[in-house]
Amino acid sequence: MKLNLKTIGLCLAAAAFLAACSEPPEIAAKAAKRPDVAPYMGADNGFMTKNWTPSIDASWTESINKRNQNQSEYSRFK
Amino acid sequence: MARMKFICDTERCIECNGCVTACKNDNEVPWGVNRRRVVTVNDGIIGKEKSISVACMHCSDAPCMAVCPVDCFYRTDEGVVLHDKDICIGCGYCSFACPFGAPQFLSSGAFGVRSKMDKCTFCSGGPEANGSVAEFEKYGRNRLAEGKLPLCAEMCSTKALIGGDSEVISSIYAKRVSVREANGRYPSKDIFGWTTAYGPMDSSPKPTPADKIPGAKS
Repeated sequence: MKLNLKTIGLCLAAAAFLAACSEPPEIAAKAAKRPDVAPYMGADNGFMTKNWTPSIDASWTESINKRNQNQSEYSRFK
Repeated sequence: MARMKFICDTERCIECNGCVTACKNDNEVPWGVNRRRVVTVNDGIIGKEKSISVACMHCSDAPCMAVCPVDCFYRTDEGVVLHDKDICIGCGYCSFACPFGAPQFLSSGAFGVRSKMDKCTFCSGGPEANGSVAEFEKYGRNRLAEGKLPLCAEMCSTKALIGGDSEVISSIYAKRVSVREANGRYPSKDIFGWTTAYGPMDSSPKPTPADKIPGAKS
């Protein structure tokens, strides 16, 4: 029983000392700026509207501008 | 190329807080953080009470970008000011610099530990892949990549808040002003926050301090 407790104690101590080995590196290169993907490339989910072609900037812009006009009630009720 | 902006029409906003609710719900913004909020001035004074929906205005010369010590901000081709939460250290400098109080911090823990900064993204996510789960968890929805506009503007019941390409929304607002003027009401053409966020409306050169000193070169 004494031996078992000693073994367990050693194991716990080893685990505590070795825990630092799993720390992720905190280096400046990790925090570098990443490029963002333009919205006209589309989204990888099922919520995209259907009236434009992803990856074509002009198609996206035209679709967004049409949608934008829906915010004007003057263009909706004439 | 579109240049995305917001306009809030103070003559139309009825302080329903629908934009605030829509933003919080769609982006699953945590309790204690408001990316958008409605401010009312002259509350209760008949004829003088005005409400305005305020969030990040995605300024042309954004002061938050200028003061960030770790340079976590970037501007997209659409003119939207975004930030990378993997770089942000939550120092709060942007919060002091912003004239609109847009940067928000989640206070957590017994000592009020500040989180990384959170703000309106014009519903265009962050540097993660468009529409990905990682992007949603950090920044909320990316509606622009889905071919949509920010939900706060699209669902505004009175269309007080409009968002999108500056040329389009400016023309919508100009039409409203002309109708009001034709009816002899609300002649003001001022838009809250536009001069602060995007600079003076006219493009004429302004005198610099050096112009006032004889012989100095600007």
